[in-house]
Amino acid sequence: MERTGLSRPMAIALGLMALVWVSPFAWLFGNAFDNASVGRLNWPAEFGIDNFLHAVSGDAGRMFINSLVIAAGTATISTFVGICAAYPLSRLRMPGKNALLWTLVLLRMLPAAGVLVPIYFTAQRAGLLNQLGVMLTLTVLNLPFTLLLLKNFFDTVPIELEEAAYVDGASLWQIVMNIVLPMSKAGIAVVWFFSFTGAWNEFLLPLIFSRVEAGFPMSVGLYAAFGRQGSIDYGFLTAFSIVYAAPAVGVYFLLRRNMNTGFAGVGVKG
Amino acid sequence: MRHQANPWITSNLWLLSAAMLPAIILIGALLYFTGWAFTFSFTDLGLTGRKAVEWSWVGFDNYERLFTRRGGFVDSFWTTVTFVFFSAIVGQSLLGFLLASALRQTYGTLRTVVEVAIMLGWLLPDIVAAFLWSATTSQTGLINSLLIVPFGLKPVNFINDFALPVVTIANIWKGTAWSYLLFVAALDSVPREVIEAAKIDGATRFQRMWMVVLPMIRPHIATNMLFITIWTFTYFPLIFAMTGGGPGKATETLAVFLYNQAFGRGNLGFGAAISVAMLIIVGLLSTVYLRMLKEPK
Repeated sequence: MERTGLSRPMAIALGLMALVWVSPFAWLFGNAFDNASVGRLNWPAEFGIDNFLHAVSGDAGRMFINSLVIAAGTATISTFVGICAAYPLSRLRMPGKNALLWTLVLLRMLPAAGVLVPIYFTAQRAGLLNQLGVMLTLTVLNLPFTLLLLKNFFDTVPIELEEAAYVDGASLWQIVMNIVLPMSKAGIAVVWFFSFTGAWNEFLLPLIFSRVEAGFPMSVGLYAAFGRQGSIDYGFLTAFSIVYAAPAVGVYFLLRRNMNTGFAGVGVKG
Repeated sequence: MRHQANPWITSNLWLLSAAMLPAIILIGALLYFTGWAFTFSFTDLGLTGRKAVEWSWVGFDNYERLFTRRGGFVDSFWTTVTFVFFSAIVGQSLLGFLLASALRQTYGTLRTVVEVAIMLGWLLPDIVAAFLWSATTSQTGLINSLLIVPFGLKPVNFINDFALPVVTIANIWKGTAWSYLLFVAALDSVPREVIEAAKIDGATRFQRMWMVVLPMIRPHIATNMLFITIWTFTYFPLIFAMTGGGPGKATETLAVFLYNQAFGRGNLGFGAAISVAMLIIVGLLSTVYLRMLKEPK
């Protein structure tokens, strides 16, 4: 049915590797679906979904909302700011703009913990030790990468289409809204998704920025819960982990084809 | 360049500049923060208490401390190098490449299964991965239950006794997908005819890989190295959540060291010096890789 050029031992080895790779999940699911979980690697003793119900209600539910607000907010702000700047960047002649963008990307490669000190101080002064502060900071940190990606996508929109529209009397606004944006939809989706998952997974910033438990996103909540000594509610934590991991995993598989295109765009443009 | 004469651009220069303004401000903030870190690395600024308000200039004291303190920066640097070398370069990059070249020959179910398996690790939030691996390597965890106890051995507390290897493996598990995807794209860019030609000329499998494919995908290798080295070098959440840098200082990589100094002990000035030192190291690494990217032999 398919052109399989793999030898049998090789295929078996690869299959085994995949099995080893997913094996840690056995424990996760075994406990999450066990109403009487004790954190051991067991078949569920009392199969049920009580843990999941706990993981989406009360405090846990609020953390989910916090994470969602931070992630969607960051992704939307950085994509919007990115688009506004990336189109002019792509179309205007500016000496050394690629060098500039790459320098910024490299600058962004510095440890987040490194700029954290000044960011923390500035946010404290500005009264931004809250979710808005987290979103703005993440946008600042994301922006070089967002700009580079979006500019690369806008570069691939054929200029001839814009010319034709201009000749037909379209304004800049119409050109951008009706030609450029629709044609770079895949790219924009990728950028939005990258920022979304980045912010959804972010741990360090909210750890330092969230002063009160009510503001914790799921990453900090999970860390706080499993770092706690004594009675750890494994059933709840495993279910909580699954709920926390699900959106990023789910959206990826929904957008898989776009992702790979976007990915090729990131990889090797130098 | 070719776009310069486009009238819908040139007649709207002001509007386009205004659109770029928010981005310029935010980039300005990024530059400001970097400059700030540099400046305050010469002070004794503290997180709380008197030093938070009445800080003073201390010259190069913080930088001196980087090299004179035992169990400080230098040890942490070597821990980081070990971690990066084994988890990023040997683990993720080599494994990703081997997988990409093995799965290249097939498009079947097996490929999908392997891809989904390694992608799951990549997509999982850092903290969930940390939780999962803490559990897997615990005394009642998967490894002990399946591989140690059934052979009549005593359960091993991996996270305590083999902390650095455990976080290294966890990071390989988590990050291989990126290298894999990049190498898949790289190998797809090598024309099949070239490989066929080498085959006809009698090149062995190994020669084809070593002398034909690898030189052709050199830019991809350099890009991949650049990204994963720097990411791993500054990677924080997984290690911090699994071990907090311990036991002792066994897994205190530079990112964790920086956090512990700046926010754990409240030495913001010293923390800033650590981040400047990290920035310099990252900068040097990038130059090496970018050179690899630009100048073919």
